[in-house]
Amino acid sequence: MADTVVNIAGLEHRYGTTQALRSVDLTVASGECVALLGPNGAGKTTLVNALTGVLQPTAGHVDIDGGDPRRAQTRMRLGVMHQIAGFPRTLKVTELVSGWAVRSGQPASAAAPVLAEVGLSDLAARRVDKLSGGQQQRLQLAMALVVDPTLLVLDEPTLGLDIDARRGFWRTIAEHRDRGVAVLLTTHQVEEAAAVADRVVVLSDGQVIASGHPAELTSRLADRTILARTALDGDALRALPGIVDITYEAGRLRATSRQAEATVRALLDADPTVSDLRVEGASLEEAVVSLTANAYEEVAA
Amino acid sequence: MTPQILAVEVRDELYGIIREPAAVFFSIAMPVGFFALFAGLFGGPSDGPVSNATMMLASFGAFGVISVALLNPGIGVAEDRERGWLRVKRVSPVPVSTTLAAKVAASLPVAFGVYAAMSVTAVAMGTFDTDLGTWLAIAGVLLLGSLPFALLGLAVGFSASGRAAPAIINAIFLPMAIAGGLWMPIEALPQIVQQIAPALPTYHVSQLGLGVLLGEPVLDHVVALLATTAVTAAAAATAYRSSRR
Repeated sequence: MADTVVNIAGLEHRYGTTQALRSVDLTVASGECVALLGPNGAGKTTLVNALTGVLQPTAGHVDIDGGDPRRAQTRMRLGVMHQIAGFPRTLKVTELVSGWAVRSGQPASAAAPVLAEVGLSDLAARRVDKLSGGQQQRLQLAMALVVDPTLLVLDEPTLGLDIDARRGFWRTIAEHRDRGVAVLLTTHQVEEAAAVADRVVVLSDGQVIASGHPAELTSRLADRTILARTALDGDALRALPGIVDITYEAGRLRATSRQAEATVRALLDADPTVSDLRVEGASLEEAVVSLTANAYEEVAA
Repeated sequence: MTPQILAVEVRDELYGIIREPAAVFFSIAMPVGFFALFAGLFGGPSDGPVSNATMMLASFGAFGVISVALLNPGIGVAEDRERGWLRVKRVSPVPVSTTLAAKVAASLPVAFGVYAAMSVTAVAMGTFDTDLGTWLAIAGVLLLGSLPFALLGLAVGFSASGRAAPAIINAIFLPMAIAGGLWMPIEALPQIVQQIAPALPTYHVSQLGLGVLLGEPVLDHVVALLATTAVTAAAAATAYRSSRR
C-alpha cells in the first residue's frame, strides 16, 4: 500500500459561532489525486487553510508526511497553486521561481529545468506583470514544482487555461504523480475532477458527506436520463413507472427516471414507434448536486 | 532561516523599489530635489561651526531617510496583502517576520542612498563642511532613528488598502515632518509648533542627527525614540494580528 502523505483526523474549525468544519477525516496517499468538491461555503477553503498551515484548527489532527503543517519545516516540500497568487509585479519569471526554490531549501539552479517543464523557458527574463493569465497559471505551477513537492495542493488550477494548456497541465501533474507526488485538488469544474481524480471527497456544511471513486459516486445516484423520439404525450409519459421529470430537446424526449429499466420497458410497450432510444447514467456533477441537496435536506429536517 | 533566504527576500524588495518608477520618484528623486532647492536658497554659512546646508543634512536628511523607511515597507505590505501575495508567502516555509524584516532592511540602502545623494548635492554646491566620520555617524543615527517609522508604516500597511496606505502615511508624516523641524529650523516655526515639536518622533530624529553633528548630548532623543519604537512595534503587531482574522 502507498505511503500516506496527508492524514487529517477529526478536524474541526469554528469562526466565532460558525462551525466551518465538523469532524473531517481525510487521507491522501503517495501518488494519489483526491478532488475536494462541494458548494461555496462547504468548508473547502478552511480545510485547505488548515492543511497548508495558514490556520490553527479548533480541534483535530492534520499532518503532512508526519509533520505539523504549522511548522515551517513541514511546508518545505509543499507545492501550492492558489486561485489568486498576486505576484510582485517588478520581479522577472526566473527571479521569482529561483527565489521560491531557495525559500524551500532547494538550489536556485532548480528553477531552469522546472521552467522548461512548464514551457516558460522563453519567458524567463520577462517581468511577471507582462505575462498573460495562462502564463501566470504556468508560473504558479513552476513555483509549486520547484520545491520538489511530496504534496501538491491545487486550487482551481486550470482556470484561464485553453484546452491545449489544460491537457499539458494534467500531463505534467500525471508525471509527478507517477513519481509519488500526492495531489489534493479543489475545483468547481466537476467533470475535470472526474477525469483526473482517483477519489472524490464531497464536503457539505463542513462535513464529508461522500467519498469514493467518481464512478462509485455516480453509481449511487439512481437517476438515469432516457432520450428517445416517441408519439406519447406528456401525460402518458408522466404515467410511466419511475419518471421524475420530462423535457424536450429539438422534439426529442429527455426524461429523468428513478427506475430506468422499468420505464424503458413500459415506454416500448406503450409506443411501438419509439426510435433513437438512449439511456445515460448520471454525471459526477449531478451526483454531487444530488448528494449535497440530500445532505441539506437532512440538516433542515 | 538561512542567510540565502534573507538575501532573496531583501533582493526582491529592493527590485520592488528600484524597478518601480513611482517609488524611485517619491522616495529618492523628490526628497533630493527638495534638498537641492532648500540648500541652494538657505544653505550658506551660518553663525555656528558648520554651514546651514550641512545642518540640513541632519534635519532634511532625516526627512529623506524616514520617507523611504516609512513609505516603502508600509505601501509594500498593503499592496502584498491586497494582491494576495502575503497569503502565498504564508504558505511558504519563510516566516512572515522574515518577510517584514526584509522589507525594512531593503529600505535601508535606499535611505542611505538618499542621504548620500543629498550629501553629494551639498558637496557640489560647496557647502559641505564635516568630516567623513561625523558624516557616517549622522547616517547611522538617521537610519536607526527611522526604525520606529518603518514599524509605523507596517502598522498602516496591515490596516489599509494599497491605494489608501500612501495617503494615510503622508497624512501622518508630512505634518510631523514640518512640525518636527525637518523642513526648516525649529526656531523658524511658530511658538505653538515649537512647543508641540518635542512630542514628535521626527523632532527627535532630526535633533539626534544635529546632536551628532554639533557634539551635543543626545540621550533624551535616544530615550524618546526607544519609547516611540515600543509604541509603533505594538501598533504593527496589533495591526498584523487583526489582518489575519
